[in-house]
Amino acid sequence: MNRAWRNFAIGVVLALIIISLTPYLWMFLASVKTRVDALAATPQWFFAPTLEHYRTVFVQKHYLPLVGNSIMVASGTTLLSLLVGTPAAYVFARHQFAGKEDLFFFFLTTRMAPAVSVVVPMFLLFGKLGLLDSLYAVILAHSSFNLSLVVWMMRSFFEEIPPEVDEAAQMDGNTRAGTFVRILLPMAAPGIAAATVLCFILSWNELLYAMILTAFESRTLTVGIPGLVTPHGTLWGQVAAVAIAATLPIVFFAFLVQKHLVRGLTFTAVKR
Amino acid sequence: MSVIFDKVSKQFPDGTLALDNLDLEFAKGEFVVFLGPSGSGKTTACRCLSGLEEITSGRILVDGVDVTPLPPRKRNMSMVFQNYALYPHKSVFENIAYPLRVRKLARGRIAEEVSRVAKLLQIEDYLDRRPRQLSGGQAQRVAVARALVWKPDICLMDEPLSNLDALLRLQTRTELKRLHRELGSTFVFVTHDQEEAMTLGTRIALLCYGRLVQFDVPRKIYHEPATRFVAEFIGRPAMNTLEGRLLEGVFHTDDTEIAAPGLLETDRAVVLGIRPERIVLHRAAGAGRVPFILDVAELVEPDTLLFVKSNGTSLVARATEDCSDIAPGDSVYLEFPPDALHLFDQSTGRRLS
Repeated sequence: MNRAWRNFAIGVVLALIIISLTPYLWMFLASVKTRVDALAATPQWFFAPTLEHYRTVFVQKHYLPLVGNSIMVASGTTLLSLLVGTPAAYVFARHQFAGKEDLFFFFLTTRMAPAVSVVVPMFLLFGKLGLLDSLYAVILAHSSFNLSLVVWMMRSFFEEIPPEVDEAAQMDGNTRAGTFVRILLPMAAPGIAAATVLCFILSWNELLYAMILTAFESRTLTVGIPGLVTPHGTLWGQVAAVAIAATLPIVFFAFLVQKHLVRGLTFTAVKR
Repeated sequence: MSVIFDKVSKQFPDGTLALDNLDLEFAKGEFVVFLGPSGSGKTTACRCLSGLEEITSGRILVDGVDVTPLPPRKRNMSMVFQNYALYPHKSVFENIAYPLRVRKLARGRIAEEVSRVAKLLQIEDYLDRRPRQLSGGQAQRVAVARALVWKPDICLMDEPLSNLDALLRLQTRTELKRLHRELGSTFVFVTHDQEEAMTLGTRIALLCYGRLVQFDVPRKIYHEPATRFVAEFIGRPAMNTLEGRLLEGVFHTDDTEIAAPGLLETDRAVVLGIRPERIVLHRAAGAGRVPFILDVAELVEPDTLLFVKSNGTSLVARATEDCSDIAPGDSVYLEFPPDALHLFDQSTGRRLS
């Protein structure tokens, strides 16, 4: 690649970064501006930053427990989806049984149905079970669609591993279950990392199920935001403050598993 | 210790009959080679013995114990795979140590055993590496080390040399032979390469379409092939076979006659076989010599392969002498020593003594 092309490529990347980061920066600015500054007809670039919105929303309006709820829901969903989905994916990758591909496709269809068509029956179901306004309800609901993601992703990861590795592990003295836990799970670690991140983010961002299935106690952060749209106007500063707080853990989390994520999304660790 | 295949059959779900009533018995310390063309069931036989494949009917006995219902881990066998199947996330040391870890050996013992076998296979320098940093030959050694480190009853090898380049194959072959002699353990080796089979095996089980065709020492397989299939499969170039009739000590094809004294007196349809290297080449006609025209001469130092024709009959002869004086189109006269002739039944393919 010659110098001119290189500079052009850097320019394109920079432009993309600016385009994608500007709204985030705008949101951050809105969260530290006073209401007057934020809604001024001409953008105010110089202003006295304030933490007033953060204080109001997290201290006075008690939004802090919502962060905890979101963390619980996202972690619970991720854990449950992986616990059920990974062994299922292994079976799909390795075993032959009647109707296998149909069943596999069925998992995908759970993602095809529009959420609104499922959420009302779910509301009634969880109502009967007495789980409404509990974290369990949200975790189960989120797992219902995250499970298919895990199964679909992990199946291809397990299929990348030559079956001889399973067989070698069995010859070396493992049971089938032992082979799965001791050899295949560590080998599929990059895939598991990638699936974890996606599950966590999807659950963390989800609004509809969480809003319908919770009332007050177990609201997640995303559900809390519409509460800031009041009859007297939208409290943009507070919305921005909550949004910033909601995105930070995801950013942190993504950086944490970044290495695995890249390896997971370009999985070619096994020589075939 | 002995291993017995007792009427073992294996049918795959798609209907393929990979093993058809296989009967086989061998003893401890042998280097048994399963040899056959692709689709002969040699790999299936090996996998059935390991327990990785369930058999459809029959039994496999090891030391008189029926191991058929046992899972692989309870059969005391190890396996070297064609693609080595090393654990990519473990170091070479951990790969070799793994069977010992599963068996919960003490830490000190593990280090001891791994270094012993690593020394044996000359891979001590790579113990810290990851499998992907190894060359094919090194990975192969690691796989063999992993299979031998825990001293299993039987070590199974499924075409372990086929992913190596030609030179490395020869070296590794020699080393396996040495290893077998030094360790005295039982090896079962699957290959489609007759040269590997002939050099490595104490006995060769030749399979075709899931059936055992011949099970014998390499010498016998070569010199007394049990069927026409064995005769044509073993040897390079393959044994010449001619279809014709045997009448009063003379073998007739439509256009050639070859004296075959004292072999069989009855008139019957037979296949006559003779190895290229047993054919005697003459430049001049004489009694008992059959005239042919040289078609192609290939120099395979130090020998020469002569592809000859006579009407519809074509043969290949291997001459050890200098043949630069004969050119394609020249006449040659071939002698077929009676003791070098093999006779097979034309319909069953079985050897006629």
